[in-house]
Amino acid sequence: MKIISQGALTELLDQVAREKRLIAPVEEAGTIRYRPVGGSGEIAFDFARPLLSIKEAFFPPTETLLTIARNGGQVTLQEVMPEEEQVIFGVRPCDARGVKALDAVFSGERVPPDPYYGRRRQQTTLIGLACREMGETCFCTSVGGAPDEAGNVDLMLTEVEDGYAVEAITSRGESLLQGMTLTDVTGAPSPPRLNDPVPVPAAGAWAEQFEDAFWAALGERCLSCRLCAYVCPTCRCFDVRDEPLPAGQTQPDPQTQYLERVRCWDSCTGANYRRVAGGHNPRAEEGERLRNRFFCKFDFYPQQYGPLACTGCGRCIDVCPVNVDVTEVLAAVAAMVPVKIPEEVSA
Amino acid sequence: MTLSTEIREKARELLASGQVRTVIGYEEGLRGRTRPAFVTDVDDVERLVWNRACTHNLTTYLPGRLRPPHQSNGAGPDERVAIVAKPCDSRAINVHLAEQRYTRDQLHIIGVACAGIVEGAGESRPEKDGPLQARCQACTERTPVIYDTLIGEAPPVTEVADPVGEKMAELEAMTPAGRMEFWLGHFDRCLRCYACRQVCPACNCPTCLYERDDSLWTGMAIRLQEKRAFHLGRAYHLAGRCIGCDECERVCPVNIPISLLNRCLSAELERSYGFRAGEAPVPSPVTTMLSGEEG
Amino acid sequence: MMFEPRIIGFLCTWCSYTGADLAGTSRLQSPWNLRAVRVPCSGRVSPELIMRAFDEGADGVLVLGCHIGECHYDNGNHRTAKRMPPLHALLAFAGLEPERLRLDWVSASEGERFARIVSEFTEAVRELGPCRWRRAGPALPRPELAPAPAERGG
Repeated sequence: MKIISQGALTELLDQVAREKRLIAPVEEAGTIRYRPVGGSGEIAFDFARPLLSIKEAFFPPTETLLTIARNGGQVTLQEVMPEEEQVIFGVRPCDARGVKALDAVFSGERVPPDPYYGRRRQQTTLIGLACREMGETCFCTSVGGAPDEAGNVDLMLTEVEDGYAVEAITSRGESLLQGMTLTDVTGAPSPPRLNDPVPVPAAGAWAEQFEDAFWAALGERCLSCRLCAYVCPTCRCFDVRDEPLPAGQTQPDPQTQYLERVRCWDSCTGANYRRVAGGHNPRAEEGERLRNRFFCKFDFYPQQYGPLACTGCGRCIDVCPVNVDVTEVLAAVAAMVPVKIPEEVSA
Repeated sequence: MTLSTEIREKARELLASGQVRTVIGYEEGLRGRTRPAFVTDVDDVERLVWNRACTHNLTTYLPGRLRPPHQSNGAGPDERVAIVAKPCDSRAINVHLAEQRYTRDQLHIIGVACAGIVEGAGESRPEKDGPLQARCQACTERTPVIYDTLIGEAPPVTEVADPVGEKMAELEAMTPAGRMEFWLGHFDRCLRCYACRQVCPACNCPTCLYERDDSLWTGMAIRLQEKRAFHLGRAYHLAGRCIGCDECERVCPVNIPISLLNRCLSAELERSYGFRAGEAPVPSPVTTMLSGEEG
Repeated sequence: MMFEPRIIGFLCTWCSYTGADLAGTSRLQSPWNLRAVRVPCSGRVSPELIMRAFDEGADGVLVLGCHIGECHYDNGNHRTAKRMPPLHALLAFAGLEPERLRLDWVSASEGERFARIVSEFTEAVRELGPCRWRRAGPALPRPELAPAPAERGG
């Protein structure tokens, strides 16, 4: 294996930070977040799993799609495209798998491509970091992933005794390593410590359980907040609205109305998410909304795009204020159906 | 008999006799986490527990489950429930009663004498003997202010500390600019996940003012100004209604000290009106007419 | 150049707005900085309205209602009287200088009182300088309005 020392890595990261936007895990008020950093000194190298996934680097919580000038019947639109090149350091395999799941939705062949997501995706290099062990709430191996899965990043690092074992996965990863001193060592990194697997019922088997009383019972304690969706690497519901551009900036023409078309994260777990004009809400009950979310992950998405939309990262388990636990749901549904671990679980 | 056993016995009695349809209490969830439980079957009462990790304010579920028949959208799923209530939680019931969210006869309150909830409750495997939550360190209430059955004996108040009060004093000593920087720094991290609002027993507007489709009071964006508008607006809407369970702060994923905002308003109401939310089923003084407090 | 504060004034129809009119017709001097917003009653001025004014960039907000006991709607101003102290406390706690928000009572016949209060308040806010409350979002490009299409027909 090729090894890069910690010193050489920090040198590499400092260089990247000078040339592009470097995003890395940072300690922030008792949590770890992926944030832009000015240099390697700001990075919290000893981290397990940041609170939010790298999803926000491609699909940010808030983004401006267009600005609009309007005067009566005259309307002019201007796109606001993301410009910066980004490098994300410390991407866990579950997060990388999550980006793959979003790719299918935002830039796959089946749908009109999302240019905002697409541009960011094009402009981003992923430096992966393998996990030495699965965390208490992790279950990536049960959904087709692995703590050392390298396929979805550009450059993969694995902690070893004198630094990191490094593997270039794509040509982008190769070019990152240009001019870096790597040591050749025989052997391979020791395999990560795994958790016991959890049963995951195959897509297509879920439909029979749609009417089960289990969902209403599960929903009783759900608060309908959005934590699970917001921390999830694959959840992608959003809302779009035209809002006036903030007052106070110079208005070149008082007759013209200036607006921005803004897109924000939303979640199907919110009480009014599916409420339609006229007031009807087909998912008025918490249980119905939770059911939708789990079906989306394990049934609807796989049937539309192929892989599971859950990466087994365990973030939702950690943040839920009332202990709605996806592994508990999976076990319950598995008990309702004969468990068939899907054969084709990777993209 | 342990307190858990007493609660189970009471639940069994209430369910078997048909006095209530559901008992809302606590159970041991996965990974050593205590969580809310909804028991409708007599055979299920063994799930119910009481321990020092029972942090959730279960009264947040009551307005949704107990919509009184006079409301146009009909009754909730339950006509009558039993609820396990800590002293702080019980004050939230008084706030609900003052606002006619449901009627007193729709509840059987299983009040629990409480000596405090531990830090880390609701999360994985908290130290059952660990330090108390900040709100509990300052608390001198040992029995609920309203109940039908009382479980446990009021433990004596031993030591009282007020970490929240200390933090308040620190902030009050700052300049306005210093305080603004403090709060903007915290609101910046906010995700508008609304966990604080959803967990709160006093937040039950059908459509939150800060989530309106027409962006009337603040925009939809997850940006600093909008997030501040939401937090300050919500805090104001809780004036005289927040009972200080601080669950909002517990559930916040990015550690925003929301309890400080609520404490600012409860302190102001105590100062101006000698009022403390939930001691009796009376509305917040901010919503009533003047009666001798002119000036 | 002297800083000219932008003051939003919520004036109730029956008392303070009429008092402002009286100040005007009496040719009393008062600063032009006040942008008057007429409301039926000071009780209509919700905290959200005041917070929105500061969010939109007001340097000061003045709420003027009828004297207690003289409200056209009986007790609308009771609500205002009770709302403002908690709001004041909350905004001050969040970093807004308390002098930027003021509640006072002006009757329809008190033109002089109106002029005096507005002057006092404007000067107090001028002394504090521009308000730093508003947090502008990201700087976004403003599209040029396309030229109007040519007229159809002859």
